[in-house]
Amino acid sequence: MIVGKARSVALVGLEGTVIEVEAAIGGGLPRTVLVGLPDTSLNEARERCKAAVASTGLEWPKQLVTVNLTPATLPKTGSHYDLGITAAVLAAGEQIATDLLEDTVLMGELGLDGRVRRCRGVLPALLAAVKAGYTRAVVPAEQVSEALLVGGLTIWGVASLAELVEVLKGNPVLDRRLPPAEPRPTPEDPDLRDVVGHAEARWVLEVAAAGRHHLFLHGAPGVGKTMLAERLPSILPDLTPAQALEVTAIHSLAGANVGGGLIRRPPYSAPHHTASLISLVGGGPKASQPGSLSLSHYGVLFLDEATEFAPSLIEALRTPLESGSIHIGRSGAQVRYPARFQLVLSANPCPCGGYGVASRQCTCRPDVVRRYQSRLSGPILDRIDLHHHVRPLTKSLLKSQSPGEASADVAVRVAEARERQARRLGGTRWATNGEVSGPWLRRQLPLPDGLGIVDDAVRQGRLSARGVDKVLRVAWTLADLAGVDRPTASHLRTALALRRGEELGAVA
Amino acid sequence: MDRRRTTGALGEEIAAAHLERLGWRVVDRNWRSGRLGELDVVALQPGPGRLGTLVFCEVKTRRGLGYGDPLEAITYVKLGRLQALAGQWLAAHELRCDRVRIDAIGVLLHDDAAPVISHLQGVTS
Repeated sequence: MIVGKARSVALVGLEGTVIEVEAAIGGGLPRTVLVGLPDTSLNEARERCKAAVASTGLEWPKQLVTVNLTPATLPKTGSHYDLGITAAVLAAGEQIATDLLEDTVLMGELGLDGRVRRCRGVLPALLAAVKAGYTRAVVPAEQVSEALLVGGLTIWGVASLAELVEVLKGNPVLDRRLPPAEPRPTPEDPDLRDVVGHAEARWVLEVAAAGRHHLFLHGAPGVGKTMLAERLPSILPDLTPAQALEVTAIHSLAGANVGGGLIRRPPYSAPHHTASLISLVGGGPKASQPGSLSLSHYGVLFLDEATEFAPSLIEALRTPLESGSIHIGRSGAQVRYPARFQLVLSANPCPCGGYGVASRQCTCRPDVVRRYQSRLSGPILDRIDLHHHVRPLTKSLLKSQSPGEASADVAVRVAEARERQARRLGGTRWATNGEVSGPWLRRQLPLPDGLGIVDDAVRQGRLSARGVDKVLRVAWTLADLAGVDRPTASHLRTALALRRGEELGAVA
Repeated sequence: MDRRRTTGALGEEIAAAHLERLGWRVVDRNWRSGRLGELDVVALQPGPGRLGTLVFCEVKTRRGLGYGDPLEAITYVKLGRLQALAGQWLAAHELRCDRVRIDAIGVLLHDDAAPVISHLQGVTS
């Protein structure tokens, strides 16, 4: 019995394992058997590979072909094993050169005509390959630039099975790298310049960005809550190289085209309130698809009309908010997806949108308003440092406003504030004020002056113990934005005032 | 229909000849049992014991590879049916043997060349 071998990578979440694809020929009626815990989508690889081999002018063995994916206990899903399976079978049939197969990782889906198609997860898979000590990889031609994001690998891009055969013979192939100069055709990113008026809300957004505080925007329908939230990513600092690699790997796994280079800007994700739980936390076959929460890792997760989300969806945010990651358990797969996002919620104050809004009359019954506002549970609201009530613009404001400050200018101040935090928090497990724990904040840092007003607020029952921590956190961010070493009494007063939105929303 | 039947008959003829060339004795041909189906060729292979091995052969004939290799047409369902048929044949005949086996023979006919025979032994084991 002749055995052919090739290598590919099995992905469980973002964790890749280099696997061996073995193919044995002979010993029974002509049939192709795939073993090694393949799922349905992978079992279909047989038919694709057979057709591709025939279209390429090669021959699929007319005997019993047994393809084994080892380690056989690791569940496997996806279409990127096609190249590995075909190469192993052709190697067993002695139709291709085998010298290079032993230590080359193959990734790619085959079309029936022998074309090599793009597949999900090339970036995380190759990261795993490098970690396992491999130095060569074959990827679909259109994903060469994605593969090149991983250093330390020789990458061969193939557009067809015929090209793979040539590559394995040791023949040079064309450099398939797509022109990298091609600028990303992103639509003009939303910019704060477009926001007319809303001086206060813009400033709250800046504070949220600087301290990476989770943010809740209340306000009547149509005042511009969504418009503001969409512009938060534009004032956040660039991702660090390590963060960018992680974010890009997640997006690669989700099937996004990341050929244009690493994702260096914080991602933004705004799932609709009818989203399913799985689409938020991740799932799919063997939990192979990251959800919205992970797609906004190191970026912004915006839940518009947060009160319309099913309670189970909102509660699902609690663990990631705490730990920065999501563990998904399925039979045969334990997957951890990173999900360290900045949460922005928006909501109307009541179903009609008029409750507590100066110029409007609320027509809702009191119990309806109360029930509406209690849809967001305490544990979630506890994690949100900033509550802001967005006020409607008056006509005169609309008329007289000159364009607002551009995002780029705000981003400079945010970046400076982040630097101050990084210096202060260096050596801890946090990087921003929004993440720091309450006890550490109170014990390890100098207390600000003028704590008297905070004491008063506590005594009058306007502020809970946890509320004190929130006020302190925000006060530190205000000090960082102002460029001073310690929050002053005025920062504390402002931080306290920033909780007014919370009271207006009558929550927490 | 007619052409299909003659193709099959021709293939079985070629297969039987092939078995006799191997030195096996063809015991029965086209044995039917009700609706279950048909045993194409039953042959006695000499050895390994004194009485030899009784081999039930399923013959598949094709005129071209357009629909795949002849042997690919033998499915698991068909193999199961062959086993049942073999049991019935043994019950109906007084032939003694040391072993029983099921083989598959693919015959690929060519218009202007000798037929290609692929003989797989013991396809159910």
